[in-house]
Amino acid sequence: MSETVIRFENVTKIYKLYSSTRKRLLGIFIKKVPYKKKKAVDEVSFTVNRGESVALFGKNGAGKSTVLKMITGVVFPTSGDIEVKGRVSALLELTSGFDMEFTGRENIYLKGHILGLKDEEIKALEDTIIEFSELNEYIDQPVRTYSSGMRARLGFAINVNIKPEILIVDEALSVGDAPFRKKCQKTVNEIINKDNVTLLFVTHQTAVAEEFCKRGIVMKNGKIVFDGPVEEASEYYKKMNAGKK
Amino acid sequence: MSTIKGFFKSYKDAFLVNIKEHTQHTPQVVKLSFADLKKTYHGSALGWAWAVIKPVVTIFVYWFAIAVGLRQGGDVDGYPYILWLISGIVPWFYMGDTITGGTGCIRKYSYLVTKMQFPVTTIPTFTNLSRLYVNIVITLIVVAIFWIGGYPPTLYLLQLPLYILFMFLFFNAWSLFSGLISAISKDFANLIKSLNIAVFWLSGILWNIENVADNKFLYSLMMLNPVTFICYGFRNCFVNHVWFFEQPQRLLYFIGWYLVLAFLSLWAYKNLRKEIADVL
Repeated sequence: MSETVIRFENVTKIYKLYSSTRKRLLGIFIKKVPYKKKKAVDEVSFTVNRGESVALFGKNGAGKSTVLKMITGVVFPTSGDIEVKGRVSALLELTSGFDMEFTGRENIYLKGHILGLKDEEIKALEDTIIEFSELNEYIDQPVRTYSSGMRARLGFAINVNIKPEILIVDEALSVGDAPFRKKCQKTVNEIINKDNVTLLFVTHQTAVAEEFCKRGIVMKNGKIVFDGPVEEASEYYKKMNAGKK
Repeated sequence: MSTIKGFFKSYKDAFLVNIKEHTQHTPQVVKLSFADLKKTYHGSALGWAWAVIKPVVTIFVYWFAIAVGLRQGGDVDGYPYILWLISGIVPWFYMGDTITGGTGCIRKYSYLVTKMQFPVTTIPTFTNLSRLYVNIVITLIVVAIFWIGGYPPTLYLLQLPLYILFMFLFFNAWSLFSGLISAISKDFANLIKSLNIAVFWLSGILWNIENVADNKFLYSLMMLNPVTFICYGFRNCFVNHVWFFEQPQRLLYFIGWYLVLAFLSLWAYKNLRKEIADVL
């Protein structure tokens, strides 16, 4: 049995919804200011082992993104325990997280520095990333001049090439044209199989998920309603959408 | 008893996180500070020149208004008004920019909070460092201007790094506090922006606080102002030739303010760190 890399134990995330930002500001100082509670994730428990590839299904608002953000360490749970081991590379909204004024190349370095890589390490990856992104001469232009497809390509190229241990893909594979998409899928498959990377994959396209993943989790209203082999999970999800469950 | 212990422990923990994030990410902080600096002056034709043009224009305007317009430009403490003005206004360039810039720092780098795991307490540090580099260069230019003006460097200039350090630490605590609050609410940033001008005019940067020395109450109020402490600290180095330990009362006030601000910044971190990603 391989080691557990992600462990959720009774994790609940409640977003505080204030009726205005003024109330939110007051809420910092006065705990009594009223707000609505929105349970995005409700008592969720699961574990993921190293090398597993898990697809996460669910309608909009089911809590998938919140779960991914909690694994990334961006969002904190209201209660419950989360344990994550290893470098997490998240492809959450590929087009953001860039500095618009910097060139593509400078952004590669910036991202690398933020992740704590040394200059030499980044230099070693630089060419691979540029080649993968197919940006060619555009790499030395400011990112603000890029099209959204170019940004997504660069984002994807950086994230899969910095040798992640846990890769989180949030709808990201639906970017770019068909050949680039193919290439992304091939690369993701490669790093899962070769480097024993753990993959968490969020999508609405069950067919794509079945290509990558062996296990599927279905979420509904912040709860896990199904956890098992991906084929059964996608079947369950399709039925759920058809209104049968 | 246990609640008091828990209270202290929560602040101690927040403090230790702050220290740990800085020591474990020192190379990143330095790299990001240079990236921030580059970004500030990036993409304009004159580029780096703006770092000097802006203060020069500001100083000229104030000098013109006070010395030419109001005819109040007589010598101060034996120094021409313009030199006296420069020595106190240069640290203000850092402080004024940091009062507002620090307030906006977490919003400016919101992608570091919402898109990846990043040591949030270092965001004020690297954005402030980037401003500090510019300010240190300008301070060195001021040393040269004094020299050219016939006032060669004295031993008192040796305490300049200390005042710069005081200034940096103080406004770093400020930036963490106000940056976190304004991440929750934009109103706070607007409030600070409008207060910034008031702070400038009330801090004795353009006029000598010794002018109000006969009003004891007002004078001690002035001394309480940390911005005044830094500005007159710089003037102690350039003009008045006083050591910082010769004015222990001012120093104690300043340290007192610093402790209050450090406490507030830890309080804000403790309460808001987990919330800002939900809001930004």
